Amino acid sequence: MSRMVIPIGPQHPLLKEPLSFLLTLEGETVMDSSMRLGYVHRGIEKLAEQRTYVQNVVLTERICGICSHIHTTTYCQAVESLLGLEVPQRGLYIRTLMCELERIHSHLLWMGVLAKNIGLDTIFMYTWRDREIILNVMEEISGGRVSHAVNTIGGVRNDLTKDQMNMLKESLALLRKRVEELLRSIEKERSFKIRTQKVGYLSLDDIKRYCVVGPVARASGMDIDLRRDAPYAVYDQLDFEVPLMFEGDVWARSKIRVLEAVQSIHICEQIINAIPQGPVSVKAPRRVPAGEVVSRSEAPRGEVVYYVRSDGSQNPMRLKVRTPTLTNLVTLPKQLKGLQMADVSVVIAGADLCIACGDR
Amino acid sequence: MNIDLAVNALVRQLELEKSDICSKPINETEIKLSAQQLIPAVETILDAGIWHLSTITCLQVADELVLLYHFWHSKGLTLCVTLETEHAQINSLTTLIPGAEFYEREVREMFGVEFVGLTNPSPLLLPDDWQSGFSMRSEKPNKTESEA
Repeated sequence: MSRMVIPIGPQHPLLKEPLSFLLTLEGETVMDSSMRLGYVHRGIEKLAEQRTYVQNVVLTERICGICSHIHTTTYCQAVESLLGLEVPQRGLYIRTLMCELERIHSHLLWMGVLAKNIGLDTIFMYTWRDREIILNVMEEISGGRVSHAVNTIGGVRNDLTKDQMNMLKESLALLRKRVEELLRSIEKERSFKIRTQKVGYLSLDDIKRYCVVGPVARASGMDIDLRRDAPYAVYDQLDFEVPLMFEGDVWARSKIRVLEAVQSIHICEQIINAIPQGPVSVKAPRRVPAGEVVSRSEAPRGEVVYYVRSDGSQNPMRLKVRTPTLTNLVTLPKQLKGLQMADVSVVIAGADLCIACGDR
Repeated sequence: MNIDLAVNALVRQLELEKSDICSKPINETEIKLSAQQLIPAVETILDAGIWHLSTITCLQVADELVLLYHFWHSKGLTLCVTLETEHAQINSLTTLIPGAEFYEREVREMFGVEFVGLTNPSPLLLPDDWQSGFSMRSEKPNKTESEA
């Protein structure tokens, strides 16, 4: 049978962000594929070398429009470690709270994107309606729906008020019901299962070979989560489970993200009840002593890594950022091989890619 | 198998000196290696059950390029290899760890390090017709740590 090469992208309806694919088909079957990144490469690592440490908090927040807070968390952790700063507990609790709100928001957003690609617009409408609950809470706390500007080197910029805590409590109670309803849909909705089960399969061995991270790894039975395995912020003081599944397909990735959202709601409720009184930040010096540090944290899509090297000046000598999207992207040709053309959109949407993160 | 046991295995197999190993903040151990020791070191690490390569960082220090291979298994383990900036060349890890492909391609186009055996050396982030050199290299090379 003759082969046909189909270009998809860089602008295409699967994702809002630009990413280019070249698919080689035999009939309807994908025989081979390749990708091209870089359409939103902004040279952030180079730019960071010309900015001060404080200015880089603003810059790193703009790497991603979905998980912006986890970038500043990982960056601030790195610089605080070089400075030897001890961030006050209340500041760390607020930082962790925002991380978990962001995780719920990211998982609901992604679920909507997947549902839209499958043609299940009802789930898309419901998840994006529910995502507004989280965005409203984040806006109330920080003033921003996308870039929150909560973190600073030495803690967080603003304290939580009682009114904000009350709003958060009410929102979480409503969200818990909605997310549990979503979980029932994923488990029982026949049309959703037909489109996602046994599609985009990755084995545990693939996960190891390609160094896959986050929910994609956990959906294939890889039991890793930095919040539990190498706790940062206040995760060592919180009680939560790390959901694990073994099917390794898009359905398992969908379910595991919703289970994680349930756990995140549970974490947020604990934070509201346990948050201590006190200051939220300490003053940080402008110059950072010479040294180097690797900081890791668990973003909604998996491990984020920041490497910061200081030469003792006000600017970092090197800032390296590795986002989970870049790691998980490597597996796409493997996932696509042998699939029917109609399933390509399910796999690409199911990978939960953030191209701005990957390109930097 | 944890990082400490893997470090012991590396010390035994590659006959490393104590001065080659140092601790870094946030539970990170760094080991200095020569370019020839990289592949045997990674094979030892993989045999020890440490499969997760978080990323590869490259930086320019004076007239040298430093490659940092960041592994993770509850704690961090960084393998540090230094290359001359001119004709910087090292073996690719992609046959051992296919997930290293994007990391090596990025370092290749940004810093000009040649990875021998890299299966797909095409540009990752920069345009195909990019002709402005290696954009992450410094115009004024950074000072060494002792100078700083």
